[in-house]
Amino acid sequence: MILLRTATSARRAPQRGSFRLGQSRRCASFQRKAPQPSLQVAELLTRYESTPPRPLNLAQLLSFGHPAMSDSVLASVKYTLSELPRRLATRVRSLEALPFIVGTNPYVSKMLHAYRESFTFLATHEPITTLEGNEQFVQQLQDLVQKHANDIPTMAKGFQECSQYMSPKQISDFLDGAIRNRISVRLIAEQHIAVSQALSQPTQPGQSAYVGIVDMRCSPRSMINMCGSFVTELCEATLGASPPLVIDGFADATFAYVPVHLEYILTEILKNSFRATVEHHGRQHGSVQSIALPPVVITIVPPRLYPDSEPTKESTYLSIRIRDQGGGVAPSNTARIFSYAFTTAGRGAEANGEDDDGGPYAAQHVGGGAAISEGSPGGHIFGEIAGKGLQAGMGTIAGLGYGLPMSRLYAKYFGGSLEFFSLEGWGSDVYLKLRCLDEAGDSKI
Amino acid sequence: MLKIGCSYRTLFSASNGTITHRSVNSTRHQSTALHFYQNKQLELYASKQASRLTLRQLVFFGRKMNEDRLMKSANYVRTELPVRIAHRLRDLQALPFIVVTQEGVGRVYELYWSAFEKLRRYPPITTLDENEKFCEFLGGLLNEHAPVIPNITLGLSLASPHLPPESLDSFMRRMLVSRISRRVLAEHHIALSEGFVGRGQRTDGEPHVGIIFTGLNVKRSVERCARLLRESPIWIYDEENLPDPSCWPEVHVEGHVNTSFAYIREHLEYIIFELLKNSMHATYAHHHKEKTLPAVQVTIVAGEHDVGIRISDQGGGLRTARNRVKNPADLFSFSHLRNEARLDDSRLGALRSASSQQAGFVGTVDEQVGRWQKARKQESTGLITDGAAIQQTHPRIGIGLPMSNIYTTYFGGSLDLISLDGWGTDVYLRLPKLGKNLEGIEV
Repeated sequence: MILLRTATSARRAPQRGSFRLGQSRRCASFQRKAPQPSLQVAELLTRYESTPPRPLNLAQLLSFGHPAMSDSVLASVKYTLSELPRRLATRVRSLEALPFIVGTNPYVSKMLHAYRESFTFLATHEPITTLEGNEQFVQQLQDLVQKHANDIPTMAKGFQECSQYMSPKQISDFLDGAIRNRISVRLIAEQHIAVSQALSQPTQPGQSAYVGIVDMRCSPRSMINMCGSFVTELCEATLGASPPLVIDGFADATFAYVPVHLEYILTEILKNSFRATVEHHGRQHGSVQSIALPPVVITIVPPRLYPDSEPTKESTYLSIRIRDQGGGVAPSNTARIFSYAFTTAGRGAEANGEDDDGGPYAAQHVGGGAAISEGSPGGHIFGEIAGKGLQAGMGTIAGLGYGLPMSRLYAKYFGGSLEFFSLEGWGSDVYLKLRCLDEAGDSKI
Repeated sequence: MLKIGCSYRTLFSASNGTITHRSVNSTRHQSTALHFYQNKQLELYASKQASRLTLRQLVFFGRKMNEDRLMKSANYVRTELPVRIAHRLRDLQALPFIVVTQEGVGRVYELYWSAFEKLRRYPPITTLDENEKFCEFLGGLLNEHAPVIPNITLGLSLASPHLPPESLDSFMRRMLVSRISRRVLAEHHIALSEGFVGRGQRTDGEPHVGIIFTGLNVKRSVERCARLLRESPIWIYDEENLPDPSCWPEVHVEGHVNTSFAYIREHLEYIIFELLKNSMHATYAHHHKEKTLPAVQVTIVAGEHDVGIRISDQGGGLRTARNRVKNPADLFSFSHLRNEARLDDSRLGALRSASSQQAGFVGTVDEQVGRWQKARKQESTGLITDGAAIQQTHPRIGIGLPMSNIYTTYFGGSLDLISLDGWGTDVYLRLPKLGKNLEGIEV
C-alpha cells in the first residue's frame, strides 16, 4: 500500500520525478518500492484467475429472475459470488500487468487497491444459504457498486498523467478491456440486486415488464425524452441555448434492453450533437440566442425479421439514427473521435501548437472543461467538472472524451454496433444498432 | 487443346502479330504456341509505367490550347493508352486459365489485343489533319469497346466459383478503373480537339475545359437526374410486377445549394443518377400501397477538401430478398460469395443480352436515357407492348453500384452506404474538389 504521505511529499518536492531527501524530516521516508499484497490475497487471486471460466449467457442470467423465487435468488447469489471474484481477479491482474511506473501513479494505485479490496471481500465471503443472508449481502453489494462509481474518471486521470509511459494503443487496449469487464461486473451485480429486490418487494406497476435490470418493453422514445430534457438543461446552462429534438420513424417501438445502457449511450450522443449544433451555429451567426437552431432528428426503427426472407435464427436489432447539423467532423479526424486521445488532452495541447481540427468534437479530447472555458490546463479537468457540477446525475464520466468510445463498447456488448458518418461543414449521423435481448439469449456475458 | 467457351468458338492465333480467327477444326497447338511466343511486344509495353494525371493537370493543360499543345496531347494519348492496355492484358493473362475461357472473357481479351496492336502501330501525329483522323480512330475504338463491361462482368460472374472474392474484386476494379481512365484521356483529347477547331459539343454554354466542367453546379445535376428519372420510369418494370406508378418520390435538395466545383460532369451525373434510381425504386417498392411517397432527401455540402452529397431515402433499407449481402459494401462486389445475386439467372440473362449487343454499356446517363426514350417511342407506336420487352432495353445487369464506386474512387473520392433496416438507406458520396489527387489506376 503506497502511503498517502508519499503523495503529499511529492507535491512539495520539485517536479523532477525525484524526491529530495531533505523532506524526510517532515514526513516518513518515501517508498520507491510498491508494497507486496498480502500472501492470502495473492493466493486467492491466483486461484480465481485460473478457475475455468463459467461463461454464462444472457438467457441463463435472466432465468435467475424469471420468475423471482427464493430458489432462483439463492442460485443467483451463488453465481454472483463465484463469477464476480473471477472477473475482479482479471481486473486486478491487468492492473498489475501495467508498467511499474504507471502502477506507482496515485490514481492507478488507488484503483488497484480498491479492486483488490473488493476482490478480497467477495472471494472470502462465506456461501449464502438464506434469504436474510442475501439481504445483507445485497446491501454490501450496493455499497461496492457505489464505491466503484468513479472508476473511469479516476483511471482517466491516472492515464493522462502516464501518457508518456504508454502508447495510445496500449492505453486504449487496456481501457477497452477494463470498460468491457466493468460492464459485465455491473451487469451481474445489478442483476442480482434487482432480482433480490423483486422478491422482497411487491411488483411496482409498470415494472412488471422487468426481468432484473432488463426492461422487456423498453421504449426508446421515453428514454430519448428523458435524456433529451437532461441534455437540454445542461446545454442551456453551459452554452446558453439548445436545439430542438425531433423524433420520427416508428416512435412507439419497444424492445427488450437494459435501460441504463441505452440511457448512457443516448446521453453521450445527444451531448455531442447538442454542443456541436450550438457551437457551429454560434460560430456562423455570432450569437446563438436569437436564431432558430436546426433540430437534432432521431429516427427509431423497430426490430423485425427481414420481410422477404424466411424466418431464420438471426438476431433482431432495433436501430436508432441520430442526425444533427452540428458542422460535422473532417474525414481525417473521424478516427480520433473514437480514441481515448490522451496526447491532446489537457496541458500541452496548446503548447504543442497543434491545430486541433476536430471542430466541435475536439472539445471531447481536451475534456468538457475546454468547451466551457478556453484552454484549461489538464490539471484542472477534474476541478472543472466536479466544481461546476456539470454532470449532475450522470457521474463524472462525461466531458473526458470517453463518450463515443464507451458508447460504442456498450452498443457492442450484446452484439450491436455504433457507426458514425459525417458531412464536413454540415453535420453528422450516428447509427446505433442494439440487439433485442429477448432474442439474444446466446450472448455471452 | 484450347477450347474457349461453349457457345463462342474463336481461337487466338498470332502471325505477324495480328489476331485472326480460325475455325475450330484447324490445328490448335501451333496457333496458341505462336501467341505465346509473340508476347514480347506486350511485355515491352507492360514493363513501362503508366503516367497518371490529376484533374488539375487535365484542366490546366487544356486551358490555353494551341496547335503545339494539341499535338502534345494527341501524342500523349497515343503513347499512354497502349501502356495502360498492356497492363490490363498482362492482368488477363495472369488470371487462371479457367477464368479466361469463360463466356465473354475471351471476347474482351481479343478486343484488347486488337486495340493494343492498332495503337502501338499508330504513327506520331504532327498536323491538325492527322489529329482529326486520330480522333476518328479513337472514337471508333471507344465504340468497338462498348461491349467490354457487360462481357467482362458476365465472364467474371461465371468465374466466381473459381476465384477468391478479393482477387476477383480487385481484378474487376483494376479493369474498370483503367477503362474509365482510358476513356477520360481519349474523350478529353477529342473534346479539346473539337473545341480548338471550333466544333464544340453540346455543353449548354457551361464553362468547361474538354470534358471537365469547371463550374459544375451540384444541385443542377441532381435536379437534372431526378427529372430524367421521373420522365423515364422504366426502372419500375421489373420482376416484382409492381403496378404503374401514379406518382413518384420527390427529390428535395438542401444544404449548401450553390456548391460548384470542377469535375467531369458525365461521372458525377452517372453516380447521382444510379443512386437516385436505387432510392426512387426502393421508395416506390416499399410504399407503393400508400397515397403519397416519402421524398428522397439530398444534402449537398461544400467541405474544405471535398464536396459531400448525402442521399437519404425511406425505401426500407438494404436488407431485402433482392440484396442478399452481409454488409452494404458487399453490394460493390462481383463475387457471388459476397453477393449471391451475381449468379441469379435473371442477372446472368440480362448480362448475356447486354453482351451480345454492339451498343454494349458505356456507363453514362445519356446512354440509358437514350435507350428508354427509344423504347417509349416504340411502345407508343405499338411496336413493343409488354413490360418484359421494354425491360430488354434496360437490362438490369446490376452494375450501377460497383460502377458508381469506381467512378467515385477514380480521383480519390469515397462512397459509403448505410442501411437503417426497415426504414431506409443513407448514401454518403464524397468527391474531392481541389483536383489534386492522381488517377486511381495501377501504375
